[in-house]
Amino acid sequence: MIFDPILELFRGRAITIPPMDGAFRPNAVLDETPVLAELQQADNLCALGDRLLASSGTELVEIRADAPPEPVQSFAAAITALAAAPDGTLTIALDDGTLSENGTPVPLPKGVACITALAYGPDGALWLANGSDLHPVSGWVADLMEKNAAGSVWRRAPGADFKVMAKKLAWPFGLLPDAKGCLVSESWRHQLVRVEGGTVKPVLRHLPGYPARLAASADGGAWLAIFAPRNRLIEMVLQETHYRFDMMASVPRDYWIAPSFASGESFLEPLQCGGIRTMGVHKAWSPSRSCGLVVRLAPDMTPTFSLHSRANGKRHGTCSVIEYQGRTVIAARGGNCILTAEDRT
Amino acid sequence: MTFREQLQAWRYNLVPDHVIGEILTKRWTDNAIPFLALVIVVASFGSAIPGFFKLYSLQESTRQLGEFSLVVTGLTVVMLGGGIDLAVGSIFALSAFSAVSMVFIFEQPVWLAFAASMATGATFGAINGYLIGFLRLRAFITTLVTFIIGRALYDILVVNFGSKIQMSMASSDTWDFIGDGTILGLSVPVLSALVLAIVTHIALTRSRPGWHVLAVGGSRRSAHNAGIKVRQTVFMTYVFSGLCAAAAGFLIATRLSGAGPGTGHGLEILALTAAVVGGNSLGGGRGSVVKGIMGAIIVMVMTNGLIRLGYGTGTNQMVLGILLAVAVTIDIRWLKNRHKVLNEVYVAPVYLRMGEATSAVPGSGTPYALNSELSGATHIGLGEVEGPEDVILDRDDHLYCGTRHGEIVRFFAPDYTRSEVFAHIGGFPLGLAFDRDGNLLTCVGAMGLYQIAPDRTVTQLSAETRRSFTSIVDDARLRDPNDLDIAPDGKVYFTDSTKRYDAHEWTLDSIENRATGRLLVFDPSDGSTKTLLDGYRYTNGVTMAHDNKSLFFCESWACRIHRYWLEGPKAGTAECVIRDMPGYPDNINRASDGTYWMAWLGMRTPSFDLSLRHPAMRKRMARRLPQDDWLFPNINTGGVVKFNDKGEILQTMGDLTGLAHPMVTSMREHKGELFIGGILNNRIGRYKIDGADAGWTSNDSYWGASK
Repeated sequence: MIFDPILELFRGRAITIPPMDGAFRPNAVLDETPVLAELQQADNLCALGDRLLASSGTELVEIRADAPPEPVQSFAAAITALAAAPDGTLTIALDDGTLSENGTPVPLPKGVACITALAYGPDGALWLANGSDLHPVSGWVADLMEKNAAGSVWRRAPGADFKVMAKKLAWPFGLLPDAKGCLVSESWRHQLVRVEGGTVKPVLRHLPGYPARLAASADGGAWLAIFAPRNRLIEMVLQETHYRFDMMASVPRDYWIAPSFASGESFLEPLQCGGIRTMGVHKAWSPSRSCGLVVRLAPDMTPTFSLHSRANGKRHGTCSVIEYQGRTVIAARGGNCILTAEDRT
Repeated sequence: MTFREQLQAWRYNLVPDHVIGEILTKRWTDNAIPFLALVIVVASFGSAIPGFFKLYSLQESTRQLGEFSLVVTGLTVVMLGGGIDLAVGSIFALSAFSAVSMVFIFEQPVWLAFAASMATGATFGAINGYLIGFLRLRAFITTLVTFIIGRALYDILVVNFGSKIQMSMASSDTWDFIGDGTILGLSVPVLSALVLAIVTHIALTRSRPGWHVLAVGGSRRSAHNAGIKVRQTVFMTYVFSGLCAAAAGFLIATRLSGAGPGTGHGLEILALTAAVVGGNSLGGGRGSVVKGIMGAIIVMVMTNGLIRLGYGTGTNQMVLGILLAVAVTIDIRWLKNRHKVLNEVYVAPVYLRMGEATSAVPGSGTPYALNSELSGATHIGLGEVEGPEDVILDRDDHLYCGTRHGEIVRFFAPDYTRSEVFAHIGGFPLGLAFDRDGNLLTCVGAMGLYQIAPDRTVTQLSAETRRSFTSIVDDARLRDPNDLDIAPDGKVYFTDSTKRYDAHEWTLDSIENRATGRLLVFDPSDGSTKTLLDGYRYTNGVTMAHDNKSLFFCESWACRIHRYWLEGPKAGTAECVIRDMPGYPDNINRASDGTYWMAWLGMRTPSFDLSLRHPAMRKRMARRLPQDDWLFPNINTGGVVKFNDKGEILQTMGDLTGLAHPMVTSMREHKGELFIGGILNNRIGRYKIDGADAGWTSNDSYWGASK
């Protein structure tokens, strides 16, 4: 104890991550829950009136309970964010940095070209999360590994121009606006912050993963999708400057020691000791670069329970979750599917 | 290569970091801290006090030191037995009084005075021993009580008889000689302390009673269960301590020719400090006489030095107290964390820049391109067998494999659904081979080279080779014997993969990547084992070439296959045949068409290859992360590769689903089928080879057709 600070000079400080415990206690719900639709790269979900829309690469797709997903529209670049206004306006952001409302291009402030999330507030204002000034949305891994904090959150009041609400955020990835401000998930810092009146205040810190999009829940709480778990090796690589930059320079991006939407698909991906398949078993607890995790937040923003797909599961990379017609709908980007979960509250 | 990378390469390949970890595995490193303290104390006081090293000054200090060492030696033995003796000070004083009164009041000869001293010590020691050993009272309280009573008794005696002693006219030459004289320049206290220390050291380390003391101190209950007379042993340690204190008391009596109120005052604290500062554990079982002596010197030099530098008693006590506190803390923290420090320091990675690998990605068009061919293999022993590193078939088609439980399991032909434990060896049986007489030879991880006769008799053939000159940890022992093959003359060529890790930690060797793998040969004619080659990165599979003039062996972490020549112009040398493979090779075996099968235990990943060029990063990884989080080569995907004598790759098969054969460590062709093993797998695969000779067996190939 008292010698630890001295010994750490020689042996290095241990790297710790928040445990998956309490509300984050693991289960296998996401792997057991029924599949609503198989959809490649299923990303952003959005309810437009009665229609359930999802993005899948460059495609906008409508999901139906009793039929295969039906393509609605195809775009020149991958869709990065969707939002539906209460009046039926559909807003779509693309990876090339363009934003359109019902097909009409929307002028964007200078520097905003990485739209990770869109949301309409109860007052009709459009909130926009710009992940980073330095990379497009598809370059998110590089933004994380460069340890950037160059994201911002913008608000456009009805009939006005976009106004910056918060700057220097580390990849804002989810928005949940209310009457006064907006709850933002700040992915690289593993926290939820509240942006209100020009201030940024942490609401929920030390999440055990990389938070993605947020959605309102009928009881006043919220749903939070987490697309990858925190991993000690990744946290260490983030502190290893030389190795990290060599890796970024010489290793193909899919094989970096970095979070991802799915893992274990190629033998060129990094493997950690705990992930060795032993006696035919891939251990659920083993360190992984990806996971499926959806968290339910109470109205006071404390986590109450969570749905998991662990290291040995397949439905990883959960980037989006919404409540749709009384059910929870989850998009697993790495699992290439859209899931429904029964309400457990 | 950048300058920084070049510096890293020099730093990690030329500086032998692994030496630190290896030294820490030695028990004697426990002495390092007290020894360092000793050197520092002697050096600093020696330079601060003028005349410290003058003969007269040393003579006087060493007399005192000799007496003190006697007491500390006794106390050390008590502490080794798991106890504590606070009564040494009062025993010391009472014995001194006994001796003095015997000579000066009763005017008896010196030997009787000595006997009286020893009797006093023995009596008090026996009282302590009886109360603590037999009546099972707490050592601390009991000896505190005897200390108080003894002290009180001494004070009464000194008050009543002190003047009588001073007035006495009695004198004795022997008495004066013991007090003042020297033998060969050494005073009696120093000589007696030396003799006692040597005798006690030998007794503790090399005799039955000594071992009993250490066993009782280490774990009372285990000692009792092992049949040691715990109570008697504890009793004897206190008697011994009493006798030591008494001998010291006798010596101070001769030196001072009197007994005053200050004799032995505070001695118990000094002795306790010395024993603990020397590194003897308060918990018992760990320590030695040498440590006690080192502690005694440290304490004596410090207290005397401080007095001579003009500090008062208060400062002295304060320094002692601090010394004791520091020693106890280090003692407890070190004992508790020694293995942790060792774990953190042991992994000492080196720099390696791997050659660019040929791609194994499916569809890349290279001969290494992996597929999922092996996922179609049927399985044998699914869920029954754990860790069949190698598989082999005998002339009756029965199938043998080792398991992680240390057993050789036999599956019966023809369907291999029934099995039995053929032999139990222990360790982790890895490579297998049949010799000419049908004996099954196996390399057993963590044990050595073993032979199992057809009647199931297990014989150890070899467990060691010659020790290399520069080794710190004895590298004569085979730590990870891995695979073997047998030449026509009966010589057994086998590999010992690493000197750094035991068989079950084989994966850690990939993180370190230090080249310590060996190729060895066992000669059954004289039972000798010789090291042929040393300094390879995890030597693994071995197989005799079809013409028996050379053998192939692989170097797993370097992804290379080497050929070692047994005859011809290049005899005794090795040359690299295949390099820069995309996978890590494991066992190699003969194929029916005159070529060879090689197993791949895992695949190279770009991130791991890069980490090999960043040894500092791997070192920090080993220290900062728990092992389950360490970056490994991808050993969840393996394969089977066929190559020929020229080193050309002919065929590659894998299981990209990872469900049936994620890691392949061996394969054996037998009658047109390939039997597949994996050290971390729960099955043996059976794969039909298209177009293979349906009559070929490796037994025929090695030893000729069956009779």
